[in-house]
Amino acid sequence: MLGILRSMATTARVAFRKPVTIQYPEVHREIPNRDRAFPILIWDEEHDEPFCTGCHACERACPVECMTVVMKDNPKHATGESKRRKIIDEFWIDYGRCMRCNICVEVCNFEAIGMNNTWAGHELSRYDRSKLVFDLDELLAQSRAGKVDPGLRA
Amino acid sequence: MVLEQHDPALEVIDMPINMGPQHPSTHGVFRMVLVVDGERIVDVVPHIGYMHRGGEKLMETMDYRQGIGYADRTEYLAQFSAELCYCMAVERLMDIEVPERAQYIRVILTELNRLSSHFMFMGAFGIDAGIFGTSFTYAFAQREYLQELFEEVSGDRLMYAYFRVGGLAWEVTDNFVERCHEVLKHTQQGIRDLDELMTRNEIFMARCQNIGAFSAEQAVAYGLSGPMLRASGVPWDLRKDEPYSIYNRLNFEIPVGNYGDVYDRYLVRLAEMKQSVSIVEQALGQLPPEGPIVPEKMPRRLRTPPGEVYARVESPRGEWGVYLVSKGGDKPYRLHMRSPSFCNLSALKAMTIGQFLADAVVILGSIDIVLCDVDR
Amino acid sequence: MLLSAPSVDISQPFFSALLALFAITLLMTVAVAYATWYERKIVARMQYRLGPTRTGPFGLLQPFADMLKLLVKEDLRPATADPVTFELAVFMIFVPAFLAFVAVPFTADWLISPLPLSLLFLVAVSGLSFIGFLMAGWGSDSKYALLGGMRAAAQLISYEIPLLLAVIGLVMVTGSADVYQIILFQDKVPLIVWQPLGFLIFLTASVAEVERPPFDIPTGESEVAGGVFIEYSGIRWSMFQLTSYVNMYVFALLGAFVFLGGWEWPFGLDVGWGYQLLLTVLKMSLFIVFYLWVRASFPRMRPDQLMSYAWKVLIPFALLQIFLNGLVIVYDLPDVFLLITSVGGALLLGWLAFAVVRRGEARRPLRMIATGQGAAARSAI
Repeated sequence: MLGILRSMATTARVAFRKPVTIQYPEVHREIPNRDRAFPILIWDEEHDEPFCTGCHACERACPVECMTVVMKDNPKHATGESKRRKIIDEFWIDYGRCMRCNICVEVCNFEAIGMNNTWAGHELSRYDRSKLVFDLDELLAQSRAGKVDPGLRA
Repeated sequence: MVLEQHDPALEVIDMPINMGPQHPSTHGVFRMVLVVDGERIVDVVPHIGYMHRGGEKLMETMDYRQGIGYADRTEYLAQFSAELCYCMAVERLMDIEVPERAQYIRVILTELNRLSSHFMFMGAFGIDAGIFGTSFTYAFAQREYLQELFEEVSGDRLMYAYFRVGGLAWEVTDNFVERCHEVLKHTQQGIRDLDELMTRNEIFMARCQNIGAFSAEQAVAYGLSGPMLRASGVPWDLRKDEPYSIYNRLNFEIPVGNYGDVYDRYLVRLAEMKQSVSIVEQALGQLPPEGPIVPEKMPRRLRTPPGEVYARVESPRGEWGVYLVSKGGDKPYRLHMRSPSFCNLSALKAMTIGQFLADAVVILGSIDIVLCDVDR
Repeated sequence: MLLSAPSVDISQPFFSALLALFAITLLMTVAVAYATWYERKIVARMQYRLGPTRTGPFGLLQPFADMLKLLVKEDLRPATADPVTFELAVFMIFVPAFLAFVAVPFTADWLISPLPLSLLFLVAVSGLSFIGFLMAGWGSDSKYALLGGMRAAAQLISYEIPLLLAVIGLVMVTGSADVYQIILFQDKVPLIVWQPLGFLIFLTASVAEVERPPFDIPTGESEVAGGVFIEYSGIRWSMFQLTSYVNMYVFALLGAFVFLGGWEWPFGLDVGWGYQLLLTVLKMSLFIVFYLWVRASFPRMRPDQLMSYAWKVLIPFALLQIFLNGLVIVYDLPDVFLLITSVGGALLLGWLAFAVVRRGEARRPLRMIATGQGAAARSAI
């Protein structure tokens, strides 16, 4: 007899605790600094170009082959504005395939790619799966707008 | 009108019932065809393979850093155990020694992961027994605290990919020890809640006692491992019997049951949770405050010498093992994951035949399977 | 006719009865719709979460959202389902539940029909619903539905008996089978004091009659898939759910009236209908909160355990209660003996019902092994 009374006492006790529900989307939970949402490219403010030179290191290292990288000769190198001989021409990441393993960030020699650790990296719903393939401008957009957290390269 | 003895319109057959791939019981895509005679189960045919993704073949195309993410996804409730085992296998082949601080952090995270996996079991088991959802929400509230901690350390809430061959990917956060203590307080409250809710409840006991009982001989014959083996009375735990990592420096006990029924398995897992809390606290006390997390002479590209190795760990479900065959190179030639859920599930038929229909759900819940692990 | 709202002309008995029936049905439909709301809220708080919060303030418009959704759903019917039994099953469950309200006295003046045997009427009419479950189970032409229907019928019939026997104990003590008279009997002390064993039996049996957890085999089990209602969709399915709540109200009201003193105790008959209604609602709410509490806390019982509980535990104890009442009445013992014997019986019930779980020797506890045994363990087996 006592056992079931114990269960009832537990539920009654919990009923008077404050629930831990967060009312998303009005309130967003704080994301830790190291959070690994999807990868984005970083913009180099000094030279006004992406850090990425299109070296294919991340493309080769990716376990699920979700990236396509095309490099080109850097026009800014000819004019002497930048030290990068090659620069990224086209870059696609299929967010539908990406498994957020962080390997692309680890192998990048130029610290040109990082995992988005803001809410913008999580709120990426689309109605069509093909729209989950992000191209160079979309990947650079957040960094160009300055909304990048310094902890990105942890 | 007298009814004939063999009137075909009155043929009595055992009724086949399909518990289809879509279960409300949160175990994943698993299909059981039960043949019942009234309320007694006469035969069980389990159908698996709905989640087969060719995992072992895929691993042959991934090098030893890429494969860690896949090991996570195979055992998705005890990810750190899977990562640990995979890394241990490669480290054994390459003869790499993991620095002490990395070992301690690995053990702390693995035991916290054991806690979160057992919380999941408690929640899902309560639902299988029929509690409307109370155990589930209590358990998941606790898992949430653990997942937040893991997110702070590794960056992801479920698929951590944090261990690397030789140690860890990067250092833990500065407030790791304090955060662990905070989380453990919540965890202990959660264990108390679930204990009070379920263990001494007479209806729960009537549902679980003497159901699906397995003797020690049967358990060993079927190749069971983990809490199912210990509940049947066999005191075998890889952390004690073949200590790996730094488990030989920690003081803990392993709970062993007597009857091998569903209730004993539940009690064993509950006791293991309490032991895990104690292990984490000890390890946090012994954690070296600073030190390297990868060995100094870490090769840049991980190439294993030719050879084969079998490494196993005590995951929350049983013995999770990796059998690795390498022919040189940076990818395995053949990788087999010894899955505890698959081996434990093979005993389902023997446990369920002769029980009532309502017990089939409870027995399946007590085996605590992870379908991605069964099917790989 | 006794509906004494002064602004309505009630000279015609047939017309006023019709009006009263209409009012009750409408009222109970709204009450039941909001029962879903407060059930979700209260059970959610017990489960450490919030209930509906977004549809309207505090989720108060949730029942309307649910109703709207269910109304626009496609009305499915399996091709091989028996049309007559399938369609009629819903009504066979729905109508008896509402019919019970004919005999329920909400306050001293508010009732539809004063029946001299209203207690018997209430229990009998709410017992008609098992035919509906059988019809739904058979007519759906589905194995799960059939199983659920069989179990439902077995459960409902089995738990009628202890319910009725517990209530007959009351009839013996008060000398009347009319709910109204039983309430009037309780002007000093509620009947729960004299009949605690009967109260416990009534409580358990009523949870089983309403088919709520832990006795929800027909509606929750069948492999956790919905049971009898598996082939119904849309508004038909919602009628089943609402009927479950109407039944809950009927039994809560019955319990509040016959055991807790209804609208008479403790203030007596002199207060106005407002206080009486408040007392009725409060006492009914106690029962309802108990039902919700039990839902959130207990696992489901297995069908065979359920049956053995009814036949081997509840019925003998209900008969014991009647026997004890008989002893006290025949030998004209003072009333306090009723209390003593009944409390003794209740304690015995409490001990026995759960001692059966621990039959035989006490279970050996887990052993805690501190050192590994290595190869010794492997070779020992």
